[in-house]
Amino acid sequence: MAGFVSRREFLNLLAATGGTAAALKVGTALNLLPASATAASLDLLNLGNNQRKIAILGGGISGLTAAYELSKQGYDCTILEASHRCGGRIFTVRHGDLIDEIGNRQYCEWDDEPHMYFNAGAARIPSTHRNLLAYCKELDVDLEVFINENKTALVQDDKMLGGKPIRNIDYTTSMRGFMAELMAKGMSSAEMDAPFSESEAETLLGMIRSFGDLSEDDVFKGSFRSGYAAGGFLEHGVQNDMVAFRDLLQTRLGRQLMGANEGDTGPILMQPTGGMDKIIHGFLNHVGGKVKYRAMVTSVQVSDNGVNVSYDQDGVGHTLEADYCFNCIPTHLMVGIDHNFPDDYVKAMKYVRRGEAYKAAFQAKHRFWEDMDIYGGISWSNTRSRQLWYPVNGIHKAKGVVLGAYDYGGGMYHTMMTQEERIESHLADHEKLHPNFRDLVEKPITIAWHRMNHMLGCSARWSRNRFEGWTHEEEQLYHTLQAPVNNRHYFIGDQISMHSAWQESAILSAQWALNSMDAHVRAEIA
Amino acid sequence: MNRRVMQYTLILLTTLAEVLLQNSAISAEREPFNDRYCTTCHGTEGKGNEGIQAPRLAGMEGWYLRRQLENFRAGIRGTHPMDREGIAMQPMANLSDDSIADIVEWIGGWPYVPAEVTITGDAAAGRSLYGVCATCHGDQAQGNVAMGAPALAGQNDWYLVTQLKNFVAGYRGKHADDVYGQQMAAMVGGLGNETAILNVVSYINTLEER
Ligand SMILES: Cc1cc2nc3c(=O)[nH]c(=O)nc-3n(C[C@H](O)[C@H](O)[C@H](O)COP(=O)(O)OP(=O)(O)OC[C@H]3O[C@@H](n4cnc5c(N)ncnc54)[C@H](O)[C@@H]3O)c2cc1C
Repeated sequence: MAGFVSRREFLNLLAATGGTAAALKVGTALNLLPASATAASLDLLNLGNNQRKIAILGGGISGLTAAYELSKQGYDCTILEASHRCGGRIFTVRHGDLIDEIGNRQYCEWDDEPHMYFNAGAARIPSTHRNLLAYCKELDVDLEVFINENKTALVQDDKMLGGKPIRNIDYTTSMRGFMAELMAKGMSSAEMDAPFSESEAETLLGMIRSFGDLSEDDVFKGSFRSGYAAGGFLEHGVQNDMVAFRDLLQTRLGRQLMGANEGDTGPILMQPTGGMDKIIHGFLNHVGGKVKYRAMVTSVQVSDNGVNVSYDQDGVGHTLEADYCFNCIPTHLMVGIDHNFPDDYVKAMKYVRRGEAYKAAFQAKHRFWEDMDIYGGISWSNTRSRQLWYPVNGIHKAKGVVLGAYDYGGGMYHTMMTQEERIESHLADHEKLHPNFRDLVEKPITIAWHRMNHMLGCSARWSRNRFEGWTHEEEQLYHTLQAPVNNRHYFIGDQISMHSAWQESAILSAQWALNSMDAHVRAEIA
Repeated sequence: MNRRVMQYTLILLTTLAEVLLQNSAISAEREPFNDRYCTTCHGTEGKGNEGIQAPRLAGMEGWYLRRQLENFRAGIRGTHPMDREGIAMQPMANLSDDSIADIVEWIGGWPYVPAEVTITGDAAAGRSLYGVCATCHGDQAQGNVAMGAPALAGQNDWYLVTQLKNFVAGYRGKHADDVYGQQMAAMVGGLGNETAILNVVSYINTLEER
């Protein structure tokens, strides 16, 4: 596998990066660090007991946030939840649970043990999602660190090294080495030196060398960072072969591998001990008595001084009159529910597209990944199943639950398959990572969010143009839907955010609505 | 302990044991469900939901509903790769005969409310195009069970547009076992372009007071 990058190869690649100017631009942008801020604290007026009635439609985390905060201030809240459970897209699957996919209902048959669970929706909490974390603290939800990137996990692409899986560390060490070599070569050219003082250039070069673990002649000759081929403890370590640059370039997975630790999925990530729905239970410890389950909203009528809600519970119609209403029912479902919303509101509701996320999981008969020094993290493959997650919970226990597929953007590929086809697809895909995967796992479950009852989608898509971002019109539609109707009805949920697919966004949307309502209440009684 | 107390204690213990047993039976019980999930997509009392592209069910004839559910279940409808909405529906009709009967009865109890008009077209031009349709679907698009042709009046216009496009393009009505679908597919010759489709559906829109 060993090999050197030829000089010509460097120069070609260097030219392709756009040279110094591009590098400098990036450098300037990096100077700006966002100002630190603490979790937003709500300062809602306490009206004493039961002075205002609140209808909360949908027991998603945004609805529960509203219920929890308003109940603290003496509001009389009722939560109407269509499903048999609260949490919506926060869904932890365990032994015996119903997975209510329309047309493909499943019951989870895994062993009944605390660590045998799967977060089928939200799974990761970034340390910067401070409002969510503040609730975890307030609600006594135990957290543990979540491992996203794991250097001993695997990378596999049929196009790279004949499809043989390699360790993430082998990929990233070599890739960093070669990238550093390119940068170091670039640094030594006069053109590149010019904008830096001698000491700056020295600092930069030192960093580049250490980034790639270059040898003293600024060449990458492999590194002990990727572990030892032999020895290393009682005997001298023998260096692993490096993977040739050209081989690394045969896969596009580098985009995931080099970026797995950046942005929202950058360290430190956390998860609640025992499952993401511990957060939901945390809220329910306070407002659980206010939830009506299997209560499906059928009509929302806003008037000047309140909101009339109709709902169906076990085939029986009921009504609920409230002063204010907070609604986290997905907009694409709300379109089909009777309402008297204004036209511009309806236009905005109809504009939003629904996401297509898909996940699958297996019970592993034993924790085979731990035999390979893998503890938590993700193996990436260039297959349709894409990701294999190893649980960080339950280390060294007998069994564990692995995520067998996660496709956030293109989930329809598996969604459209039968259950048998989905499972076969994951088994075949992961045999490329673990040759006997098929025999190592059992009791599969799949979650196609596009078909989950009362959800029928995942995470609102406001922007239709992936590369150019939100248009002015889209921003207007968004603000229309964020604003209340008659100061009485609020849409909430991550659908009313510019960063959907995060619990933090759902919470912030609820807090925004609560503050807006609070201002209205204060004005009303002044 | 005297006898009485012992007797009471025994009774108490047995009841307690029974309660505990019952409870554990309950907790071991699976979350129940039924198949009346149509309104999640098709909206309140089956009035249709444009957000999901799921059509109005209220007002559909029982015989038509049953046939379509059976067709979806058998893969006679909703399997053409270009029939996006049909594909979405197809697995959801994974239902027993009893469930289908129950659903048809349930839907039959919903009030008929004509859907809102959402498209624009030339209804006058559509009127002459509708002549062919009237043969089976009736003058007032009221449907004709003898012909196996459902009512169209009051249906969501966006749904009618999608289905007509699907028939024209061969995404619906091409399956060998879709007898009535084939019949329909043979009738859409005059609707080769989108304007014609919008016009004829605009005319159907006029057949129902809203
Ligand atoms: C696959 C996946 C991965 C994700 N990963 C992460 C992650 O790692 N980290 C993170 O922070 N977030 C993640 N998210 C996003 C996070 O789960 C959501 O942002 C958040 O849970 C949305 O909450 P919400 O309040 O908007 O309501 P939702 O969860 O959308 O809840 C809506 C509720 O409305 C109910 N409802 C629907 N119709 C009716 C009706 N007619 N009447 C009454 N009730 C009704 C539903 O049953 C549901 O309970 C992920 C989501 C998915 C699906």
